[in-house]
Formats: sequence, structure tokens, C-alpha cells
Amino acid sequence: MQAEQQQYSFEVVKWFAYMAVVYLVVGTGIGVYIASELAWPVLNFDNPYISFGRLRPLHTNAVIFAFGGSTLMATAYYIVQRTSGVRLWSDKLAWFTFWGWNLVIVSAVITLPLGLTQSKEYAELEWPIDILIAVVWLAYSFNFIMTLATRKVSHIYVANWFFLAMMIMITYLHVVNSLAIPVELFKSYSIFSGVQDAMIQWWWGHNAVGFFLTAGFLGIMYYFVPKQANRPIYSYRLSVVHFWALTFGYVWLGAHHLQYTALPDWTGSLGAAISLAMIIPSWGGAINGMFTLSGAWDKLRTDYILRFLIVSLAFYAMSTFEGPVMAAKTVNALSHYTDWTIGHVHAGALGWVAMVSIGAIYHMVERLWGTTIWSVKLVNLHFWMATIGTAVYITAMWVSGIMQGLMWRAYDDYGNLAYTFVESVAQMHPYYAMRAAGGLIFFLGGCIMLFNITVTIRKAIADSSARTAALANANI
Amino acid sequence: MTKLQEYFHTDWSAMTGTDWFGLVLTVSVFIILVVVFFWTYNPKNKEEIESHRTMLLDEDEIKSEK
Repeated sequence: MQAEQQQYSFEVVKWFAYMAVVYLVVGTGIGVYIASELAWPVLNFDNPYISFGRLRPLHTNAVIFAFGGSTLMATAYYIVQRTSGVRLWSDKLAWFTFWGWNLVIVSAVITLPLGLTQSKEYAELEWPIDILIAVVWLAYSFNFIMTLATRKVSHIYVANWFFLAMMIMITYLHVVNSLAIPVELFKSYSIFSGVQDAMIQWWWGHNAVGFFLTAGFLGIMYYFVPKQANRPIYSYRLSVVHFWALTFGYVWLGAHHLQYTALPDWTGSLGAAISLAMIIPSWGGAINGMFTLSGAWDKLRTDYILRFLIVSLAFYAMSTFEGPVMAAKTVNALSHYTDWTIGHVHAGALGWVAMVSIGAIYHMVERLWGTTIWSVKLVNLHFWMATIGTAVYITAMWVSGIMQGLMWRAYDDYGNLAYTFVESVAQMHPYYAMRAAGGLIFFLGGCIMLFNITVTIRKAIADSSARTAALANANI
Repeated sequence: MTKLQEYFHTDWSAMTGTDWFGLVLTVSVFIILVVVFFWTYNPKNKEEIESHRTMLLDEDEIKSEK
């Protein structure tokens, strides 16, 4: 283990992995609070800094970029070293990405509650922070690419291909979507306007899902599922087709967010058609991960970390079927602007992204600190809380969303709307309470994970110190 | 003109440079994907591609290459 630590740069990986869990707790905690605000508006306390409108982008930034980003940086640095047989190209650059990324997160925590925002979904941060994100992201990508360039093996494992696609596409998407004219230190205006601005926004928005939250996490899946199961990936050929189809296909989908708007009709139809086609590579990838367990399904009975990874693939398959269905115009006419979209997003975010990340982090903690998880029972408890919390959340939003859609489109015999908007809001209350409960269960599971891995790490460090002391005494 | 012909009717003379760029890119990507698909699933390439399946399980050997 010690030799491995010296061979690889694991210190920065450890910090990113631990901070990912901290941000999981913080991000989902804010999510539970704002979900409660929607159910019980009194929780706004008439305080603008903690109102839903300001905390919501903080929640999305915390879970996507703080938790998701830290997980991606930990796993990419871990996987590229292990599959290339070399240390990171530059330790200094890796530490720069760690501190730079955390500075971005701190900046978000300060600016978003103050109401400083570009008002672009998943890209709310103002222009100086956007520049910092670009610099840190390029440093991360450059270090990853240079590590691959100095590898000791000829083949680049498929997980690294997914990370590379993410790095290249997110650079391109982030820079174009963030193009703005600054007028003050924390105020800028997008260089795009009108429907072009909307198209650029959703070209970024859906590809943040496609490349940040899918391609990168598929890289995680392609490494950690075979490693945890100790089985070769089911089909390497399928992984190749999965990669190229996903990479070329995803960039077309953004327009399906703008059905029935000022965007030309054909653009939305194209987005919907490609979305439906994307079911094929997405399910190919999910099947590839799940079938890796062929002949060894019994491992799921005892290996709780593997359970996280496999259940994440079930949610991945589910949400990559649901998404294209919602993109189709007929379904979109009902689902758009309703809570169904929120349910869909969380099926992917909690069920797929968070679960695969949690599985990967538990796996890494054991190997990075050369120990076993302090309490397997708590991992099991966490698994059930995460699964039940996600199921409660998305079920509440499905029912709520479909009810909203049906109420908004209902007409009476005279062609008047059957319900006022506020009537539909009143009907949502039980489902909003149920959503807050589901989120709370998921959040508490995250707290258990943070406690469990903190104890695991402290125990591993104490054991290591005791061993070193015993060795020193023996030498005397 | 049938309804289908009408739906697919294109005024080629109205195509801008951006339209042509998008068209060429789209068709090229489609062709590349078809080529990738056939290359990957050509039985001749099966052994070579699938040989990487076990790469993760051979990590100890990767280290020994240092």
C-alpha cells in the first residue's frame, strides 16, 4: 500500500474524495431546505438571502459542481494514474485544481445568496468566477491529458475516453455559453439575445447533463463497476460504440428544452428525434455495466458498494428512457414547466450521478487509506436510505407534475380554463411535503456516509501511526 | 407535390454558409458513426478490441511495466 502511495499522487485524490462527501451533505442539505420552503413558505422568513430564488442556484451549483465536480476530479486523477501506470504529470497543477475549484465553490456560496447572478441555468456565476472556472478546468484537463501522454501502457482504457470527451466538451460549452459583456465587477450581459440566447443556454444546459453529469460519470462506471465486481467489463466493443454514439449524439439534444417556443419548430423536432435515438447508446452502456456481473450476481447479496453502483445503472437506464419520452412533442406538451421535469432530473441526479459517485468514493476510500470501511452496516443503511429517498422524491414529483400539467390544460364547456394557477399550486402541497421528506431521507444517508468515512479515515491514520511507532520501537 | 414531398422540400438556393456547414458536419458525423459501428462489430476486430476487457484486472502487470 505504501509503495502504491509513493508510486501514485494520491494525496490530492484523497482530499477531493473527502470534500466530495462534505459537498454532498451541504448540497443536499440546501436542497432539503428549499424543498421545505416550497411546502411551507414561512421558512423564507422574509429574508431575501435565504429565499428560494437565491438558494436554488446555490443548491444546483453545490450538488453539480461542488459534489459532482470534486467527485469527477478525484476519480479522473485516480483512474488515469492506475490505468496508465504513472503518477500525475504535475502534483502542483493537481493541487492548483483542488484549491482553485474550492475557491469557485466559496465564491458561489458568497455571490448567489447576494443575488449576483447571470440568470443562466446551471451557469449562474458572474463573469470573474466564470474565468476562474475556465482556468481551473483547463489546468485539470491539461494535467489529465499530459498524464495520459506519459503513460506506460499503449492502450488508453475506455474510462479515460469518457473523461476526455467531458473535458473537451465542457471547455467548449462553458466558454461559449459564458460569453458576456462585463459592465461591473459582478454584473454582465450575455452577448447573445432573444431566441439565440435561449438556444445557447439549453445547448449548454443539456450538455452539462450530457457531458458533465453523464460522460464523466460513465468514465467512473467503466472503471469502478469492473473493479468492485472483480470481473472484466461485459463487452469492450459495446463500450466503444457507447462512447462514440454518446459523444456525437448528445450535442444535438438541447433544443428539446424549447419545444413550443420562438425557436423554429424543426429545431425542437430534431432535438426530440436525436433524444429518442440516444436511448440506444444509453441502454447499451447501462446493459454493459449490469451484465459485467453475469455469473456473479450473488455478489450483490454481500457487497453493498457494488449495490450502489448497480442500482445507479438501473436509474441511469430509467432516466435515459424517461428523458427522450419527455422530449417528444406530445409528451412535452404535458410535462414541460411542471414538476415532472424536476422528478426526471432527480432520478438522474440522485439515482444515477450520486449513487455511482457514492459507490466509487466508498471503493476509493478503502484503497486510498489501505483499510476497510469502519461500518459495513452503515453502508447498507446508507444504501437503503439513498434508494428509498430517491424513490419517494421522484414519485412525488411524477404525481405532482402530471397533475399540474393536466390541471393547466383543462378547459370547461365554454373554453375557459377549468382551474386558476393558484388552485394548481394549492394541490401541490402534499407532494411538496413528500418531496421534502424524500430529500431528507437522502440527505440523512449522506450524513451517515460522511460520519462513516470520517471514522474510517481517522482509524486508518491512527493504525498507520501505531504501525510506524511499533516499527520504530522494534528497530531500537 | 405530396404532403411528404412538401415536408421534405428544401430551398437549396436559400442555404447560407452556416446551413451548409451544419449539413456537411451532420452528414459527416453520421457516416463516421456508421464506419465506427461496422469497424467495432466486424468479427475480424473482435479479438483485438475485446483484449482490453481485462485491462483493469491486470493493473498489477501495468505496475510491473515501470
